[in-house]
Amino acid sequence: MIGLDFLAQSNSEFWSKASGSGTLLGFVIGTMILGFLILFALLQTPAQSRRKVVWFFTFFSGLFYVLLWLWPAPHDRAEGDASKGFSEHVSFFLQDSTNIFGGLSNILTAMLLLLGVFSLIRVHLVKLAKQQKDWVFSVVLLVSLFSIAIVGYNGWLTELRMEPAELERIGQLSPNDWPTYKKAQDFMFDGLLQAMDAAMFSIIAFYILSAAYRAFRIRSVEATILLASALLVMLSLLGLAELYWNDAIKSISGGNDASFVNNFKLTEIASFIRRSFQVPGLRAIDFGIGIGALAMGLRLWLGLERSGGSN
Amino acid sequence: MAIPETANSKSFGEKLLSVPRWVLFLVLFFMASWPLFKPVPIPNQPSDSSADLFRELMQLPEGSTVIIQSDWTNSTRGESRGQFDALLRILMRRNIKFGLMAVADTQAPEVARDVIELINLERRQASPPQREYKRWEDWVNLGYFPNAEGTGNQLAQSLRDTFGNRRDKDPSGSEQRVLESPVFQGIDDVGKLSAFIVVTGTKSIVIAIERLQAKVKILGMVTGVMGPETLNYYVSGQLKGLSAGLKGVYDMETMMDKGVNVPGPDGKPVYTTQKFNEPIQGFSGEKNLDKGTRYIFTLHMAILLLILVVVIGNVGVILTRTKVKA
Repeated sequence: MIGLDFLAQSNSEFWSKASGSGTLLGFVIGTMILGFLILFALLQTPAQSRRKVVWFFTFFSGLFYVLLWLWPAPHDRAEGDASKGFSEHVSFFLQDSTNIFGGLSNILTAMLLLLGVFSLIRVHLVKLAKQQKDWVFSVVLLVSLFSIAIVGYNGWLTELRMEPAELERIGQLSPNDWPTYKKAQDFMFDGLLQAMDAAMFSIIAFYILSAAYRAFRIRSVEATILLASALLVMLSLLGLAELYWNDAIKSISGGNDASFVNNFKLTEIASFIRRSFQVPGLRAIDFGIGIGALAMGLRLWLGLERSGGSN
Repeated sequence: MAIPETANSKSFGEKLLSVPRWVLFLVLFFMASWPLFKPVPIPNQPSDSSADLFRELMQLPEGSTVIIQSDWTNSTRGESRGQFDALLRILMRRNIKFGLMAVADTQAPEVARDVIELINLERRQASPPQREYKRWEDWVNLGYFPNAEGTGNQLAQSLRDTFGNRRDKDPSGSEQRVLESPVFQGIDDVGKLSAFIVVTGTKSIVIAIERLQAKVKILGMVTGVMGPETLNYYVSGQLKGLSAGLKGVYDMETMMDKGVNVPGPDGKPVYTTQKFNEPIQGFSGEKNLDKGTRYIFTLHMAILLLILVVVIGNVGVILTRTKVKA
């Protein structure tokens, strides 16, 4: 079980070296070189063998989370507690390793982001070099990508080198008095990226309106029920409609709280639709998706899914 | 020779079916824009889920710590920004410390930090000026975690391991481990947080509920699109409070202004809820009404227009069908 302890990093100082020390730097560089060597070796491996390697890591990672879910977890474990017996040893190992696996999953996802950026740069550089159709947009993309990265990195570096008092002083300034690096950062992030992001999404409103006008038609009984429910729920979001509708019902019921008519208040109808149809409907859909994801997960985990992973 | 059909030869039903797209867009543009320049007060009845959220936030112990998982950017600013503003105002006024993290979008931490800066500016400019919420002492930035599922599992197992390597600047300007900050004093497990609050326009709230709801109270502020799905978890009790969409923002702002079950000048409560009877005081006299109040009439106009065009289209269909049958 020493190997398991080592992997879980419990009581092991192998992975933690003093901050800023040469040993730490050596380990970082060494690990990076080792990582690249493994990656290179993997790329040189024939596709069939590569698939086995990928399956091994997939199975191992999946097995960890399956065991974490199914294996009895240690109850009231205190710091420094020693495990007794195989069952407890495994449960301690699983608990201790969660952090490593979680960290690895974060690193892998971050690598995917990096891979995405790399792929984007490669595709657009090729497009630019060959002057393919709409290559001008590739120029815009690359210039924007590098500009925002450079400006952001410059801002981070500038603030890192700043004295705390200076940083505090800048924090109190109004935007007009900001130093250039902060203005540039603000212009790129809030002035351009965020504003364009918001503008792009606001355009959706126009498409929704156009689609609702052209597609939301009462072509069948089901469509009519759907339309009526949608209109009632939409009306319930309007405070004014809700007020007048409920007042009308109140006047019909004569202010009697026990009257059956009160069930026809807009809030009650909308609540009935949400709780009796919408929530169970969505729950059923989620349940179906869950079963599908479980089946797909099992296929991937056990290496039964053959698609992907080719040259 | 066939006579070419002109617009004039169209029946009324056919005309209703062929409103040009640019007309719809123009009408939407004007109907959605003018309320922004002249806000109209709209009556409101806070939903039960919003009232629960407000009560939970107002009952958090003063000085306790929460984690805010901020997973929104300006793509959902219309709703999420108002929710985040309301949340920050409540937490800051009640001296609740918070750690800020994100799992869904790399832009989210920067967007959230910008808003905190603006709310702090608002507090400095208030009359009388309010205490600035200081980074490190009152809140810390936990950063971005690219993998929501893995991070959720980590958090459920060990908060100290999850955030152990995260650093933020202390008052001296040097980067220290966030767990050494006053925010995380005495917090070694996610169960010791007073709440885990998710502000999002994505499914990240579902991932958090699946992994953390057994250990910590989860509160949600989601967009209108995510509302119906998230409502599932509120109805089942896994989510203790939920503000959904712009209506949710307006609910929060009106409750912050007038409280819930609190008697007004005429002795009658201004806002009531069927969920609980105890009065929850708001923050009378402070800046409470903001984006929700400004945008709600725009939402009214947009929904009204949506209903109108659906009705026009369907009346057109009915009239055309009647004509064909005749």
